[in-house]
Amino acid sequence: MTNSGRIIAIEGLTKSYPTGFWRIPFCVLSDLTCDVHENEIVGFLGPNGAGKTTTIKILNRLAFPDAGKVTLFGGQVRDGADVRRRIGFMPEQPYFYEYLTGGEFLRLCGQLCGMSRADTESRSSKLLARVGLSESRDTAIRKYSKGMMQRLGLAQALLHDPELVILDEPMSGLDPMGRMEVRGIIRDLKAGGKTVFFSSHILTDVEALCDRVIMLHKGRKVAEGRVEELIGTETLYIELVVSPILPADRLASAGIPPEAGYAQGPLHVLRAPDNGQANRWMAALLREGCSVHSCVPVKKRLEEIFMERVGGSAASGAAS
Amino acid sequence: MLRRILFIAANTFRETIRNKILYAILAFALFVIGMTFFLADLSVGDFARIIADVGLASIHIFGVIMAVFLGINLISNEVDRKTIYILLSKPVRRFEFIFGKTLGLSVTLLLTTLAMATVLFLVHLSYRYGGRAEVGIFIASAGIYMELVLLTCLASLFSTFTTSVLSAIFTLSLFLVGHLTDYLYVLGEQSKVAAVRWGSVFLFYLLPNLENFNWKNEVVYGGLKSFSILGWAAGYLAAYAACVLCLSCLLFARKDFK
Repeated sequence: MTNSGRIIAIEGLTKSYPTGFWRIPFCVLSDLTCDVHENEIVGFLGPNGAGKTTTIKILNRLAFPDAGKVTLFGGQVRDGADVRRRIGFMPEQPYFYEYLTGGEFLRLCGQLCGMSRADTESRSSKLLARVGLSESRDTAIRKYSKGMMQRLGLAQALLHDPELVILDEPMSGLDPMGRMEVRGIIRDLKAGGKTVFFSSHILTDVEALCDRVIMLHKGRKVAEGRVEELIGTETLYIELVVSPILPADRLASAGIPPEAGYAQGPLHVLRAPDNGQANRWMAALLREGCSVHSCVPVKKRLEEIFMERVGGSAASGAAS
Repeated sequence: MLRRILFIAANTFRETIRNKILYAILAFALFVIGMTFFLADLSVGDFARIIADVGLASIHIFGVIMAVFLGINLISNEVDRKTIYILLSKPVRRFEFIFGKTLGLSVTLLLTTLAMATVLFLVHLSYRYGGRAEVGIFIASAGIYMELVLLTCLASLFSTFTTSVLSAIFTLSLFLVGHLTDYLYVLGEQSKVAAVRWGSVFLFYLLPNLENFNWKNEVVYGGLKSFSILGWAAGYLAAYAACVLCLSCLLFARKDFK
């Protein structure tokens, strides 16, 4: 356990890489401050080039910050072996030694993590079964598909039963079944008391899984908070689904602007701006002899929040 | 720490022995060494000497090809293929990675050098005109092996900060210069300019002196019978390799992987 339950504490993290012939520094992270608490699932969001992977590399000692401090489990990240044993990491599009089989690779990972042979074998069998690779245990990794590599990446990250799991784009390259399985694994990790920090472009997965999200854009944090706080309680519109489809003149005579709806198969979908309008429209539609199939208030989704924050940040960046 | 180095070394050994190009080079080397049996028939003079001379030169050349080819890819392949991401995210320190990789390749080179030396020894032994059990072949091969280990260390040093092609050029350049450093010293001694004298002495001690591992002529002319000569060379190798590996570790310690 750490002070105040903070598993990852990032303060003022700044990183730039030299680019071009003259090695001009290009800032990829600027004064990033955020943290991840014990037993949380935290999503790390941002468009390509936002600095997500750089942050994750710094957490895993694969890159070093120009300024700022990263603290893992209350100790500095460079503290090394003891801290590393408590972290499981899966890089984006993981690559492995192609000359090894999946089983041999996990054995190597177990050896490097100081696990006994028996522990490694039993954990490997369990995890390979969990990620659906049991039958490919003795297959050379060079014959693995992209999705299988992703699954093996997840298995190696969890092999030593780490307290903190850091995943860089864990859903990329997976089919819908694979994504569902990974979502299940992440939920199981939380249920087992683990902390999960992962980056993703798939906002529906993030929304479904995460307790909190951190959004980055151009190396800067543009939002951080609990998913429900970011989404808020504001209703965007009320969606009415009715049948049959009404022609424009009948809609107009019922006091409903024709542009407020569209046909979807045999149904007519209408978007009322607020509750009052929805009630008036529903009454009018019933008078016109329509059947109302559903009436649902539609709230903001993470995707809209993401587009607002990232779009807004991009605009202010352009203005400055 | 030692266990992790050994695990990385074992994996590197497995990587190299599953490399088909290594087998292609080794097969060709063994073929050339085997052919010295027939080459001696075509020559005039001391036939057994021809076998030892050409055979040891073949071991040397093919050993250097293997050491440079495998050595330059030792670190850079891991970085290019991003396999290092997973390895270094485990409880592995960067110097353990460098030491393990170098140790693993050194074991592979030991086995390949031993295989080539054994074939040469058998060819020498079975030659019908004056063939004999020439133990000097193994002593000279031990010298070649030590040189290969040093070249591996240099190749891995270069591969920590530059591309494979440049690593190969730098390593091969040091291989050539390393066999000429005695001349550099003599050149400095002959100069009347103090700066040149000091400069040549400095370079003489800075650059690897690969002639310290070269006993091929002594074997060919029958003057090398004792393994005791290996002691001084092993000491030189240990000191120089330690410096090179420490420099590699220093350069690698703060390297960012983009």
